[in-house]
Amino acid sequence: MKTLDIAFKDMLRSSRSLAVWIFGLAVPLLMSGIFYFAFGGMGDGGFDLAVTKVVVVNLDSPVGGFSAGQILANSLKLDSLKSILDVTEAADAASARDAVDRQEAGVAVIIPAGLTAARENPGERAAVELYQDPTLTLGPGIVKGIVSSIVDGFAGSKVAREVVYAQLTQHGLTTDAATATAQAIADQVSKWAEALGQKLQGGVNTLIQVRRPAEAESADLVSNVIGMIMAGMLVFYVFFTGAASAQNLLQEEEDGTLARLFTTPTPTSAVLSGRMIATFGTLILQVVVLLVASALLFGVNWGQPVPIVLVAASMIVLSAAFGLFITSLLKNTRQGGIVYGGVLTMMGMVGMIGIFTAQAPGATRGAFEAVSLLVPQGWAVRGWQMIQAGGGVGDVLVTLLVMLGLAAIFFTAGLLRFRKRFA
Amino acid sequence: MNDQAIQVQDLHKRFGEIQAVQGISFEVQAGQIFSLLGPNGAGKSTTISILSCLLHPTSGDALVMGHSVLREPMAVKAAIGVVPQEIALYEDLSARENLDFWGKMYGMRGAALKQRVDQVLDTVGLADRQKGRVAKFSGGMKRRLNIGIALLHRPQVIIMDEPTVGIDPQTRRNILDSVKELNRQGMTVLYTTHYMEEAQELSDQIAIMDQGKIIAHGTHEELVKIVGEMDRVDLMLNTPAERVIGEWQTTEGVQKVTAQAPDGEEATESSGAVTLLVDDSNLVLPRLFESATRVGVRVTSVEIQEPNLEAVFLHLTGRALRDA
Repeated sequence: MKTLDIAFKDMLRSSRSLAVWIFGLAVPLLMSGIFYFAFGGMGDGGFDLAVTKVVVVNLDSPVGGFSAGQILANSLKLDSLKSILDVTEAADAASARDAVDRQEAGVAVIIPAGLTAARENPGERAAVELYQDPTLTLGPGIVKGIVSSIVDGFAGSKVAREVVYAQLTQHGLTTDAATATAQAIADQVSKWAEALGQKLQGGVNTLIQVRRPAEAESADLVSNVIGMIMAGMLVFYVFFTGAASAQNLLQEEEDGTLARLFTTPTPTSAVLSGRMIATFGTLILQVVVLLVASALLFGVNWGQPVPIVLVAASMIVLSAAFGLFITSLLKNTRQGGIVYGGVLTMMGMVGMIGIFTAQAPGATRGAFEAVSLLVPQGWAVRGWQMIQAGGGVGDVLVTLLVMLGLAAIFFTAGLLRFRKRFA
Repeated sequence: MNDQAIQVQDLHKRFGEIQAVQGISFEVQAGQIFSLLGPNGAGKSTTISILSCLLHPTSGDALVMGHSVLREPMAVKAAIGVVPQEIALYEDLSARENLDFWGKMYGMRGAALKQRVDQVLDTVGLADRQKGRVAKFSGGMKRRLNIGIALLHRPQVIIMDEPTVGIDPQTRRNILDSVKELNRQGMTVLYTTHYMEEAQELSDQIAIMDQGKIIAHGTHEELVKIVGEMDRVDLMLNTPAERVIGEWQTTEGVQKVTAQAPDGEEATESSGAVTLLVDDSNLVLPRLFESATRVGVRVTSVEIQEPNLEAVFLHLTGRALRDA
């Protein structure tokens, strides 16, 4: 019971330590966030575009039930465009231009009166007018692209009809027959152009197939990189927390509270056990928060649940044991500053070498990975890398066993040293 | 029935080459205030640490309420409350949280613990600040809480290791009054100090320690008798004492002559302060002035004290307690 009382007291004190919150949780997330944004991570990889207000004036008149102007106007009002275009109609060109001038709209699309007629009659010409706010680029550019795709379709159908009509009359077909055939072909071209425009606006292009390299198709590169970095940050700071938590023993020794504890009928083993439980509690909280936060904030895929739990538990045990051992070598907290600032930082960096050389050629990468395994942090990083790559319990079993073996060695050595010290 | 709260038997403690405690023995009767008086480095804190089971003696043993510090340390710890010299509190916890925690370390739980914490908070005058973080307390408040923790489990013996070092006179007065009150409530108090006045005011029994040994032991009156009717005379000279000290050592009625240093300075014969133990100051003082005049030394101030513990220490060691 006293062990739990000591553990509760230590955790309560830790929870009131600003350093624990800053270095245990905030800094690792902040560091990963910096890398996340540096690598261009933005959730779905896109960005929000401001909605462009569009004023459409359709002055066109249908010819034989067909209205090119209406098709063009409807193309701007598709549902797929509503997130970027806010289309309203105006009665005449002047009021549309006036809306742009007053910055009530970003662009005005003025469909001329003879657009359909121009498509029908070889000698006639008509031009769609775009009147835009000169300070805007993206919105008017999108409108221009849509309008161009539709107008090009109409122009194409007109060219097709004229070519077909000329060819047929040259080959002796009667004028009426040639006109009917050419008109039918022109209508088909117009419909095709209209359909193509709608598909393009919906993000579907049946003419172009965009493919990524085969390796990149299997995983999101940004997510992978951030996942590895977050694993490194997690290991780096968890080992700091383990050591700092154990250092509280030295702090209590210097504050006199440890000696006072030993004047109470409390066994040394209960004091040390309580300290270790508090360390485990702090580390568990830190790891859970960092795992969940990184998954939610940065979309890190840590792997399958069971391997995650096993690697996390092994890392916690190892970092707590290593913290106890390294702190047992210190005489006082002043030495702790050097050890934690220098030695642990250096070991943490060595442990993360495998992350920073993940894209290196095979032999080089292998050498760096071997170096990283010289420090306990390297084994923890290796565990996370393996399960992030989809590894299961069987894949990380050796790594887990090594971590637990190292933990046993460090824990025994640290405990013996502290028991001797407090005897 | 054994009415001895503490029995120390030929206790030795060695740290490498340093013999911190050299075969001390004493007994403290239940209900007494017993003071260990001595200068810094005399071995008082080492003795206290052994009695608190923080240190193992190199040899010898001590019994607290009949329990050996060697064989039954847990029973000893349960019987004692220790007030360390330095404040030993968790500053990031509140006063109540500190008392709760330490109470649990003494095996107290639940309603009994809560009730006792309330009582102790009242006793040390911190009931209205019980939820405040200790870090924001004044030095005096911390001292009171430091003592309160030792009282939580109603110990039979309370051990106080120089609890008044480095504190203001008002807090010191409060602590001395608290010690007397605890003793009135039946607690045995083992008190260490290097302030003669505290030992004199508080103690039923005093053991004077120097260089790891008890050089005198008894009541205040018994100890003072060691120097008999001798007066202590403190003189300040206008020149270094070495010019006259030889003369005074052979002056009739002078028992001991010691060069003294002003407070905070090392005593040497080059300084102008001298302390003497004399049989009768009325008779001896004119002789001292005469000798001084003969060698061209002028006495600039004279202070005469009745026999006290300071004189005893001076008599036994040749050094003043404050300079030892």
